[in-house]
Amino acid sequence: MKYRVILVEHDAHMLSELAGALRASSVFDLAAAYQETEPALGRSSVFRPNLFLVDVDHPESLEYLSRFSELFPKASVLGLMEQWDADLADRALEAGVMGCILKPFHAEDVVSAMELYKRRGQPKPARTFAFFSPKGRSGRTTLASVLAMELARMSGEAVCLIDADLQFGDLPMFFDVRPPHSVVEATHDVKLLTPSTLEPYFERVGNGVWLLSSPVRPEHAELVEVESLVDVVHMAGTLFRYVLVDLPAGFNPVSIAVSDFADTDFLMTMLNSGQEIRHMSRSMPMFQVQKRYGKRVYSLFTRVNPCTEEQRKKIEASYGHVVDDILPNEYRVTATTSSGRLAKELPVELPLIQYISRIAEDIVNGKR
Amino acid sequence: MEGHQSVIIAVFSTSSGIGKTLTAINLAAGFAKEGYETCLVDLDLQFGDVMSYLKLTSEYTLAEAQIALTTEPDHYDMEDYLVKYSHEGVSFSVLPPPRQIDDAYLVDVAVVEDIIRRLSHFNFIVLDLTAVFSTLNLAMLDMCTIINYIGVMDFLPAVKNYKVGYDTLLRFEYEESKICLIENRSDSEKFIYSGDVERLVGEKFYHRLPNDFPAVNKSIQTGQPLMFAAPLSPLTQSYWQLVGRYTNRRTPTKRSIQEEKSPGAFSWLLGAGGWHAT
Repeated sequence: MKYRVILVEHDAHMLSELAGALRASSVFDLAAAYQETEPALGRSSVFRPNLFLVDVDHPESLEYLSRFSELFPKASVLGLMEQWDADLADRALEAGVMGCILKPFHAEDVVSAMELYKRRGQPKPARTFAFFSPKGRSGRTTLASVLAMELARMSGEAVCLIDADLQFGDLPMFFDVRPPHSVVEATHDVKLLTPSTLEPYFERVGNGVWLLSSPVRPEHAELVEVESLVDVVHMAGTLFRYVLVDLPAGFNPVSIAVSDFADTDFLMTMLNSGQEIRHMSRSMPMFQVQKRYGKRVYSLFTRVNPCTEEQRKKIEASYGHVVDDILPNEYRVTATTSSGRLAKELPVELPLIQYISRIAEDIVNGKR
Repeated sequence: MEGHQSVIIAVFSTSSGIGKTLTAINLAAGFAKEGYETCLVDLDLQFGDVMSYLKLTSEYTLAEAQIALTTEPDHYDMEDYLVKYSHEGVSFSVLPPPRQIDDAYLVDVAVVEDIIRRLSHFNFIVLDLTAVFSTLNLAMLDMCTIINYIGVMDFLPAVKNYKVGYDTLLRFEYEESKICLIENRSDSEKFIYSGDVERLVGEKFYHRLPNDFPAVNKSIQTGQPLMFAAPLSPLTQSYWQLVGRYTNRRTPTKRSIQEEKSPGAFSWLLGAGGWHAT
């Protein structure tokens, strides 16, 4: 498909360089180039553009950015920035831009960015979910991976799983993959990366689901800097509409920083010895502070038997906080995850999977 | 480590919820039953369960011990921070983990090392660790005599983590003879065979603990170690055998719980053969 492009760039030299790059390509038909945003908005309709490339470094552009998608709902808008700025990229997404790329660019950079951002889904900010449990064996990895697949299936958008359980991450095993890259390389390189150069660190593990794997050896966890990990999670949000991060158990620099960054935290445990409710009660105060600042925090209990409303109320009474979700146990899911067949043979008929599907549905419909 | 008199058993794993705390408690109770001065240290600082499994309470914890040790080292008395578990003549000390998660976060590894050294009047020190290679756990694995490396082989990722953990221990140059592989719930219904796990790991299990969920439940509910909560359970017997192997008890296990206290000597430690000689 040929793109009919309107280019907006405040710097005259840059404008001519970018215009040259577009004109040299047969994929793009440069309809008009502007140095100011406002006239671009006013005059573009005559050209019937289907792609806007807009300089977002200029403060004026941000102001007008959302008008492009309002006035030209069928056209795509790409932001142009000189250096990767994650916060600016977020603001651009909020204004309806499908994504940002660096300038100057080659025509093929624009093409590949368009492909990635179209795959990502709606031009809306990413949703980032952190899965926290006080201790291991909580069903955390199962919930994250099934939710990822269900989100991808229901939304048709791109979903990624980041295995931040750095020492003993099980996600690669759940999906039976051994990716060449892990979170170690991604965090090491992130300062030099842009969304399109970060993308190859992810391995496709299912329909619409990609994985950034945990390191192969536990001691490699030490190579991961927490700040860089948050940068990776942040940048992943420009490649994927839904970013799900599986955390190591308990409070540690990784789990604290990532659950702090995420817009939604699942605080969860598996009922086992009976002590788990106490662990959840002790953990909740750490999340309540963030909840006050608008973070969504869901408390979830797995392996609840019987999985009834009465039981939920009982747990709630002892927990002292709202119990948002209770999940039944399912040995067949254990067998599926254990043998790495999760992406191939998700047993959709099981109550556990159906419950997780409903969570996914609520997320896609903006109810969570 | 110089001049350290205690035998330190670190109960370690690479998965949670596989019976570390239960094992730590029953080893401590077993050593105590044999007549050894024993201290159990709960080093799951954030979410330790030893105190609730034994229904113990205490005003002082590791957090207070750390404060005292760093502010007034001259007036520090280790006993002030220990709480005693006692039942039917079996008694051992427990060092509780901090009550607040914030305090747990502030625990200094060097102070914990110092505290463990100050417990050297105990014959046996049992450490209940968490399932991660943290700075604290590595320091404790360095200090310990035996790594009681426990796992449940019912879930393939758990088996993977058991193998990865064992390989890592060897890569960190812990001697093979120091690592005792313990399989928990070895007889429960599962699709993974111990023999296959041994083949994968490249080492035999040192000991296998059977599954007895009702006994474990009763133990936790009554706040008593298995020898009191479920004396006839095969799991209780199996823990007693394991204790016997660690203490080099001479009379083996048939009469188990009713057995006389064995002499409090550590001759086995000095003798040839080591752990795997039995």
